[in-house]
Amino acid sequence: MILYRKVPFLTFVLSPLIIVTFYLVSLLFLLSEPINAEMELSKNPQRIISLGPSITKAIYLLGIQDKLIANTVYCINPPPAKEKEKIGTATDVNIEKIFNLKPDLVLATSLTNPKTKEKLKNLGIRVVTFPVPKNFNDLCKQFLELGKLVGKEKEAEKIINNVEKRVTYIKKKVENLYKPKVLLQIGADPLFVATGSYFLNDYIELAGGINIAKESKEGIYSREQVLSANPDVIIITTMGILGEEEKKTWEKYKTLNAVKKNKIYIIDSDKISSPTPVSFVDTLEEIVNLLHSKEK
Amino acid sequence: MLKVENLTCGYDLKFNLSDINFNVNKGEIVGIIGPNGSGKTTLLKAITKVIKPKKGRILLYDKDIQEIEIKDLAKKVAVISQYSEIGYITVEEFVLLGRIPHYKKFQFLETKHDMEIVKKCMILTDIFKLKDRFMGEISSGERQTVLIARALAQEPELLLLDEPTTHLDITHQIRILDLIKRLNKELNLTVIMVLHDLNLASEYCERLILINEGKIHSIGTPEEVLKYQIIEEVYKTIVVVEKNPISLKPFVLVVTEEARKRSN
Amino acid sequence: MKRKSIYWIYWILALCGLLLATSLFSLCTGSVGIPLKKILEVIFTGKGTTEYSIIFNVRLPRIILGFAIGGALALSGVILQGMFRNPLVEPYTLGISGGAALGVCLNIIFRLYQTFTVSTLPLFGFLGALLVILLVYFLSIKKGILKITELLLTGVMISFISSSLIMLIMAVSRAEDLHGIIFWIMGSLEEPNLILIKLALLISTIGLIISYLFWKDLNAFLLGEEEALHLGINTERTKRLLFILSSFLTGCSVSVAGIIGFVGLVVPHFIRMFVGTDHRILLISAFLSGASFLIFCDTLARIIISPLELPVGVVTGILGGSIFIYVLSKKQIILGGK
Repeated sequence: MILYRKVPFLTFVLSPLIIVTFYLVSLLFLLSEPINAEMELSKNPQRIISLGPSITKAIYLLGIQDKLIANTVYCINPPPAKEKEKIGTATDVNIEKIFNLKPDLVLATSLTNPKTKEKLKNLGIRVVTFPVPKNFNDLCKQFLELGKLVGKEKEAEKIINNVEKRVTYIKKKVENLYKPKVLLQIGADPLFVATGSYFLNDYIELAGGINIAKESKEGIYSREQVLSANPDVIIITTMGILGEEEKKTWEKYKTLNAVKKNKIYIIDSDKISSPTPVSFVDTLEEIVNLLHSKEK
Repeated sequence: MLKVENLTCGYDLKFNLSDINFNVNKGEIVGIIGPNGSGKTTLLKAITKVIKPKKGRILLYDKDIQEIEIKDLAKKVAVISQYSEIGYITVEEFVLLGRIPHYKKFQFLETKHDMEIVKKCMILTDIFKLKDRFMGEISSGERQTVLIARALAQEPELLLLDEPTTHLDITHQIRILDLIKRLNKELNLTVIMVLHDLNLASEYCERLILINEGKIHSIGTPEEVLKYQIIEEVYKTIVVVEKNPISLKPFVLVVTEEARKRSN
Repeated sequence: MKRKSIYWIYWILALCGLLLATSLFSLCTGSVGIPLKKILEVIFTGKGTTEYSIIFNVRLPRIILGFAIGGALALSGVILQGMFRNPLVEPYTLGISGGAALGVCLNIIFRLYQTFTVSTLPLFGFLGALLVILLVYFLSIKKGILKITELLLTGVMISFISSSLIMLIMAVSRAEDLHGIIFWIMGSLEEPNLILIKLALLISTIGLIISYLFWKDLNAFLLGEEEALHLGINTERTKRLLFILSSFLTGCSVSVAGIIGFVGLVVPHFIRMFVGTDHRILLISAFLSGASFLIFCDTLARIIISPLELPVGVVTGILGGSIFIYVLSKKQIILGGK
C-alpha cells in the first residue's frame, strides 16, 4: 500500500536520473577516448583549410592552392578560390564539415570564433591563427611564417625580398614630397577609419602621407573631427554601394581640402582590407599616385 | 475559542486598527460589519497572521497565534477570500488544494483519506456533479461554492469569510449563506464573516461586531447593534429599522433623498 | 487518484521517449549524415573512425548541453510563472541575462579571456548574473518581505539598463571584440570545455530535484500569495528559495550557452496545456520538454543553412513562437475558457 504511493514519486525522480546516467555513461566514452594523441607537426601539410580571404590569397600567392581543400564563402579572390569546398563564413564555421574533410592544418583569422578553434584543437586538428597584421612588416612576417608552415620557406622569402625592395624604392621616391593629410575610411554609419593600430595605417605612411586618425584609440570617428583635421585626401573603401554614397556626402562639405582639390577616391574593400604582401605593395603604388598626383 | 485582546495593527503608515477586544465562542456565527475602509479586512488579516499585531495579541484556544506554526494554524482556520482567476484547473483539483496543510512531510500523492474528505466536502456543498469541470467554465455562484468546499477540505474549526456575497445575485447570496449556516450547525463550525450587507448580517449572524474608523463601535446581537441611531452615527446616512416579519430580525430600510423630502 | 498517477506516469514516459527521439535525430543529423542503422554500429565498433569522433566529440556534447540548458531554462520558467502568477514571466525577465551579458562584454573588452583562458568568459557571465541577482533581491526586500511585483519591475528595469550598457560597449569596441560579444549574445550550444558541460548537467538535474521540494508551495501559490499563506505555506521562505533557485539555474545557463530565449517562456505554457497546472507533473514535464525542444532547435539550426549555422536563439524564437500561437488558438476553442 505505502509502496504503491511512493512508487510514482520515485518514478518522477528516477526518470531524469536514468536519462542522466545514460548521458553520463556516454560522457565517459568521451573521457576515455584519447583524442588524437600526437599532433604531428608535419613539415608539409597536404590538406589545408583557410578560414579567411587573406589567408586564401596568401596560399594562392605561395602557389600551393592544390593543397587547399576548403575555404569560406567570402574567399572569392582569386576567382578559382570560389570553386573550393565551403565550410562557412569568416566568423562562423561548420566544425563537423571541417572534421570530416580531415585537414592537417587549419588557418584561422582573428575573426574566427575562439570556441571553434578550441573545439577543433580538441578534435586533434592543428589550428594556427593569423591575427590582423599591425603593419606592413608584420604582414610580411606572417607571410614568412605561413611559408614555413607549409614548407615553402624559400618561395616566401623570395617574394618578401621582392616586395621589400619595391617598398624601399617607394619610400625613397616620396621622401621629399609634401606629405598630404589623409583619411582612410573603412566604414560608414558609424564612420569608421583606419587608425595607427593596424596595417591600414601603412598604406598612408609608406606612401608619404599623414594619417589624420593615427593617434585615435578607437576607429569610430565623427565627421566633425574629420572637418577639423581637414584632410587633403580621402580614400574610401567600396563597402558595397556605400562607398559611392559616402563620397557624395563628403563632397557636400565644400571647406574640406580634399573636396577642393577633388581628391576623394574609392578603392575596392577586398583589395585593401585582406592583402597579401604583393597586393599590398600593388595597392600602395596606386595610393602613392593618388596622394601625390597634381590637383585636378 | 478565539480571543482578541487589545489588538492594534495595520499596514505601516496606512490604516490602523486599535484597541480591539472581543471573543468568539465555539460554534458561533459572528458577523463583522462597518463602513468601507473601517478595517474589517485588516482584522481578518490579523487573525490569519498575514499581518503582525503592533500591540496586543490574538489567542486561539488560549494559545497566542504568533506562536502557532502557520501550517498548524491552517489545519484549524480556513479563509475564503475573493476568487482570483485560474481557469486551467478542475474543480476536484481545486478542492484538493485545501488538503495541503494536511500533507505529511514527504507525502507526494493524495491518500485515500484525502480523497474521501474532498468527496465529502463536495457532496456537502452540492458540487460533486461539477467535479471534472474546469473552474473557468462554471458560474460565479458555483465558483464561490467551490471555494467553500476547498476551505472545508482543510477540516477547519474556524471559518473566515471575507465578503462572500459580493458580485453574487440574490439567489446565490442566499444559497451560500444558507450553506454556511447549515455547515455551522452540522459540523459545529465557528464562522466569522465580513459582510457589507447589513440585512444579510442580521439574518445569518448570531452576533455582530461593528467596526468604525479602526475601533469597535458596538458588539452584540443584531437587535442590539442594528439600532437606527447606531447605524446613522456610523454610516452617516438616514435609515429606518423595522422587524423582518418572517424572521423577526432587524431589517434596515434605506431612506432615499426623495423619500426624505416627501416625509418632510 | 490511481487514474491520475497512471496518467502522469504515461506522460513522463512519453516525454522521455520524445527526448530520446530528438536526441537520436540530433545524433544522426549534421553536414555529415550518419543514418540511424549505422549509429549502433559506429558506437560499438567504430572507435577511431571519423564518424565515431563526430558522434562523440562533436554532436553528443551539444546534445548533452542542450538537455541541461533546455531543461534548466524551462524549469526556471515554470518556477517563475508559478511564483509570479504572470504568464509573461520568463527567466530573462529578472534581468539575469542582461547581467550575464554585461559581465561577458566587460571580460571581452578588457581582453581578460586572452590574458587568462577562454574559460573566464562563462565565469564572468556567471559573476554578472550573480551581481544582478543580488541587486534585484536586495532592492525588492522591504522590511523582510520579498515583494513579488518589485522583483518583476526591478528585473525589467535592470534588463533595460543592461541592454543599453551593452549597446554602448558595442558602439565603442573594436571589430574583433564586437564579434566576440555578438557570438556570445546570440547563444550557442557549442562548448569545447567538457567540464562546463558536465557542470551544467549537474546543476540542471540538481535544480530539478530541489524544485520538487517545493511542489506543494507552487501548487498553493496558484491560488495567490495570501491564500498560500492561509494554506500554511511559509511564503517568505519559499519566495526567497525559489527566486534563488531559478536565478541560479538561469545564470548558469546563460553563462555557458549565451542568451537563448523563448525556451523559458513558451515551453511551460505549452506543456501546461497538456499536463495541467499541478506542479508535481509540471516540473518534470517542463524539464523534459524544454530539453527536447532545445535539442531539436539546435539540430535545425545546424542543418537549415548548412554549412552555415543559425544561432539557436533564432530557431527557438521562430519555431517556439509559431507553434505556441497555433496550438493556443486551437485549444482555446476546444476547452472553452481555458
